[in-house]
Amino acid sequence: MKQNWWKYIGVLLLIYVHLGGLMLEAPRLNILNETVRALYFHVPMWFGMVLLYMISVFYAIKFLRNPLSDADVKSVEYAHVGTAFGILGILTGMLWANYTWGSPWHGDPKQNGAAIALLVYLAYFVLRGSIENDEQKARLSAVYNIFAFAAMIPLIFIIPRLTDSMHPGNGGNPGFNAYDLDSRMRLIFYPAVAAWFLIGLWIVSLRVRYRILQNHLTE
Amino acid sequence: MIVALLKKEITLELRKKSVIAGIGLYLFSLTFICYITFALRQNSINAATWSALFWLVILFSVVNSLAKSFIGEKKGLAIYYYSLASPQAIILSKIIYNTLLALLLSLAGLLLFTLLIGNPIQDLRLFIVTLIFTSIGFSSSLSLISGIASKANNSNILMAVLSFPVLISILLMAIRITKNALDGIDLAASYDELLNLLAINCIATALAYLLFPYIWRS
Amino acid sequence: MKRFLTLTILSLCSLVGYTQAAEVEMADTMRANGKIYVVVGIILIVLLGFIAYLFMLDRKLNRLEKEYKK
Repeated sequence: MKQNWWKYIGVLLLIYVHLGGLMLEAPRLNILNETVRALYFHVPMWFGMVLLYMISVFYAIKFLRNPLSDADVKSVEYAHVGTAFGILGILTGMLWANYTWGSPWHGDPKQNGAAIALLVYLAYFVLRGSIENDEQKARLSAVYNIFAFAAMIPLIFIIPRLTDSMHPGNGGNPGFNAYDLDSRMRLIFYPAVAAWFLIGLWIVSLRVRYRILQNHLTE
Repeated sequence: MIVALLKKEITLELRKKSVIAGIGLYLFSLTFICYITFALRQNSINAATWSALFWLVILFSVVNSLAKSFIGEKKGLAIYYYSLASPQAIILSKIIYNTLLALLLSLAGLLLFTLLIGNPIQDLRLFIVTLIFTSIGFSSSLSLISGIASKANNSNILMAVLSFPVLISILLMAIRITKNALDGIDLAASYDELLNLLAINCIATALAYLLFPYIWRS
Repeated sequence: MKRFLTLTILSLCSLVGYTQAAEVEMADTMRANGKIYVVVGIILIVLLGFIAYLFMLDRKLNRLEKEYKK
């Protein structure tokens, strides 16, 4: 019960976000109309993906410094759940883009960046699938994880700021000012990011525990 | 040590004439396919299409020719190197050698494109600087990834799958600069992109240098 | 006290008038007739079901881990 407090916080935040996100007053903007609310549900997926991938890279580095198999399991599972978040983020983004920008794939740099991030981690899973030796698999995939993430950094954090993006916060501004993310929206948006991140951590912890049990049983 | 390894790479490469001929022919066929499919010369293509075709040809020929930097080598040879040189020296010599190879390929590609398709570039100096930068980036990323892929089962497919997402950021920057070079825009307009490309190169080379020992050990 | 009440009521009315005066079209009718609560209810049920499922998985893993330690 005591170690579970963060799960309860995540659940409570998630319920608050869904209630508030659907019913509280949202800014009235042209074109977007009622779909501003999608911000509460679409953007946290993207944030969750990046955060989970970062933790995956962190465990990859940890594994290379000290090769314990636990770090490898964690690295893979963070990447797994991050990919799930990324796919959900892309699908919700396409649905939203279809109604506000006119087509599901609009060649937006942030959209492309997210797609490439997914490609990197899909390649990562292909790499893991094609090496038989477990220890070698862990080491090589950790190396690729770190290298590919570093190569992705300009793609996600620099290029969208150089080019005109249809997303808010382009042209050197990382914030959401263009969306008029006023205090009302912040009040729901930040808890939404935190809530989905906590839920992501929870799913990862379940998967890691399952994998560790499985490893013990096969030994 | 690095110089000795570099010499060994070059002499080995020059001895295997068929490999060089193969790479050259690959580049030529790719360019020729572009030429035929567009039935160029009669109706010349616009600058954007030229840049897309050029970078596609360069990307494919560079990935295919640099893939062999570790994949082609025999198991026994790797153990022999392992006893002779440090992994850092090996990766650095590979990166330098591959940079030269990639640059040679890019320049040959440019020459072939000029001959067959035409050369709409207005600012040639900027374009060649871009080619040098992308060669460094391609070679340091591909050397490391070739090392990874050589340890796996289906190396050749894996090489393409692993390298394309990593190379996209370099390619995106290069295409943006190419656009400026094609339009002959002032050099100052592309400083941002050139700086970015340089930063990506530094990150890629530093990471390849740091991470390669972990691959080499296995 | 009375004056304060009227003042707050008046300012509230003006606030309502202000939001309605905005020209951008929103799903206001849905909110007005309360049908939005149906949507909120459905989404909440799905969400709670998902979370209950996660909790059940968590419990199952706890039990397995205990069994393994024995």
